Amino acid sequence: MARNRRHQAASVRFGPAVAAFLICLLLGGSGVGYVWQKNQIKELGDARKKREQRLAELQRNNEKLRRQLALLRSPAFIDRRVRELNLGLVPPLPSQVLSLPEPVAAPAPDAPPSAAQFADHPPRAG
Amino acid sequence: MAQKIQFRRCLILALLLCLGFVGLGYRLVDLQVLRHEELAAKARWNHKLTSFREPRRGDILDAQGNPLATSVFVKTICADPSLVGGWQRKIAQTLAPLLQVPETELEQRLQPRLRREASGTVITNRYVVLKRKVSVETWQQIQQAMAELDFGFDIKQLPRAQRTFYYLLRRKAVFADSVGDQLRIYPNKSLAAHVLGYVGTEERDLGYTKLLDTVGRDGIELALNSKLRGVPGWRVTETDSRRREVVALRGQDVTPRDGLNVVLTLDSMLQHHLETALAEAMQKHEPISITGIVVRPRSGEILAMATLPNFDPNCPGAVSADARRNRIITDIMEPGSTFKIVVVSGALNDGVVRLQDQFDCENGRFAFAGRILHDHHPYGVIPVERIIAKSSNIGSAKIGIKLGEARLHEYIRAFGFGEKTGLPLLGEVSGYVPPVKNWYKVSIAQIPMGHGLTATRLQMVMAMAAIANGGVLMRPMLVNRLEDRQGNLVAQYAPQAVRRVVSEAAAREMIKALRAVTLPDGTAAQAALEYYDVAGKTGTAQKAGRGGYMPGKYFSSFIGFFPADNPELCISIVLDEPQHGYYGGQVAAPVFRQFAELAANHLNIRPDKTEEPTPSAQMAAHRP
Repeated sequence: MARNRRHQAASVRFGPAVAAFLICLLLGGSGVGYVWQKNQIKELGDARKKREQRLAELQRNNEKLRRQLALLRSPAFIDRRVRELNLGLVPPLPSQVLSLPEPVAAPAPDAPPSAAQFADHPPRAG
Repeated sequence: MAQKIQFRRCLILALLLCLGFVGLGYRLVDLQVLRHEELAAKARWNHKLTSFREPRRGDILDAQGNPLATSVFVKTICADPSLVGGWQRKIAQTLAPLLQVPETELEQRLQPRLRREASGTVITNRYVVLKRKVSVETWQQIQQAMAELDFGFDIKQLPRAQRTFYYLLRRKAVFADSVGDQLRIYPNKSLAAHVLGYVGTEERDLGYTKLLDTVGRDGIELALNSKLRGVPGWRVTETDSRRREVVALRGQDVTPRDGLNVVLTLDSMLQHHLETALAEAMQKHEPISITGIVVRPRSGEILAMATLPNFDPNCPGAVSADARRNRIITDIMEPGSTFKIVVVSGALNDGVVRLQDQFDCENGRFAFAGRILHDHHPYGVIPVERIIAKSSNIGSAKIGIKLGEARLHEYIRAFGFGEKTGLPLLGEVSGYVPPVKNWYKVSIAQIPMGHGLTATRLQMVMAMAAIANGGVLMRPMLVNRLEDRQGNLVAQYAPQAVRRVVSEAAAREMIKALRAVTLPDGTAAQAALEYYDVAGKTGTAQKAGRGGYMPGKYFSSFIGFFPADNPELCISIVLDEPQHGYYGGQVAAPVFRQFAELAANHLNIRPDKTEEPTPSAQMAAHRP
């Protein structure tokens, strides 16, 4: 006996439901993704701003330290400190400076002559 | 009938609607077409921000890389008097110690000023500068002090409108100008001030903003301003309703290119030693001015260059313009006896004379061309070497006569007199060398003595350096190289030989004669060094004024180099009108000696004297 549609077994039609769900998911996901992306852009922008500020601050500190170093290394400052501390520092006399002559390496007897040996003006020693 | 009435009502309604639409249409055209430019600009201003990004001015460094001039970004502190209300005194009290500005002055600036616009509306000024060049640290302190302003009552209890007023007063009444500024700092204060120069501020209109530009006004700061200043950048970005930048919507972002660092040939330690020696001599002899130059003869590099009185480039306006002048290149003088090196080396080069040739110095009085020439001491017949050692005017005049006018003039020009040396500093003058056709009959006898022509102190030291350099005149060199901020080389400047003036043999002969000057019976015995052979020449030139030479007023000088056989340094010391003593050998030579000892030590120059120094010399060298 043929059964009419009303009495058909309750066969669930998943296809349209899944399609509808997927469309909703796609639309919803796109929306959320868009918002998430925008939020990320903003957060990254803020992070970038913070890092730029931090970089500027570090550069400022660096400059400050560089200036301080320049001041500490300035001849006038060093001179004043030497006097203040009364360390008795004086430049050495030329006779107190010992200059060592730079040793000239003698070529090995069987070594081929180097270019320097043929140069018009051999390098000065010492 | 009813239908007719209804129809009429509909028609009226339709007409009204049409009229409304026409009105709206007109408004649309008005907004979108007629006022498009104005409104578009307004809209752009509301959300777009174009900011200028200032480049950092390059540093000036010495040969060892020590900063001589550097820059730091600073703020211009401003106020909006319309937001201050009646609290001018309170704010002035708070800010005066931080800004280092008198309280009354600040209070006056914070007073609102009313003005009437062309349309007739009265408006209050909303921008007043409280102080320029304020450090970022001070600006942070100001922000904190303003945020913590105590008015003596609880603001939270006040009505909303008043709460807003106090909020704006604390947060917005005092602000930092968005246009950046820089402060030039010279950490060594007056050290090498005349070489470095100083900077000033110039306002430049960029269209979207006005910029305070730091520009060089003198010295290297001016001469190399284009290299030091850098190239500005800019940023176009969008803002939120509170004019804060939305970084994500940043559009154009062009990074500024910082100015190049200029590395000089100066050695700051030598410069300090030179300035110290000059300052001591200034105190001792009380001249109008004293100058010193240190040149490396082989390359023409200037290792130190000082003029006293000097100034602090951090505040150049604190002294007179006279003290800011670099007299080494801007002032001319008759060189006096130091000029004898030109005539004698020329004569030696031409083979007109030899060192052992004898000249009759006429016992100190020589009549020539209707004039009487004098020597400081009477000399009889002496060789050329002694003429230099004793600085005989008559002997030099006779050598000049023997050389001849044309050749003497050629040698003078060849040594670089009468033309600029090419030093990269503005304001250099060329001096004056009269052409031979304008010479008087006595000129051939006067010019060899260093009179009848003018030269700068730089020209004189370069001429002496040419002899020390075996007869080759070098161009003075002040800039060694240009670097970027990271220290990468951008341009390297090499020493430049201008020309060979005399042969190497003639230069060697001349050096032999100049060595005799610092011997115990020479004119500059006080310039002799214990460990080095010094060659040099003294000069004592009477100053010329209106109506002739001025009695009792002299330029006293000594120009010398050492070690004589392999010169490392050529040093010139010149005193203008010393009050206590005036001979170059008396007043300038000791300054040379004092500085040369320290310089030799600093540069570790190998001694060329083999004999053991005397104990007194050791004591002298040990002076701190």
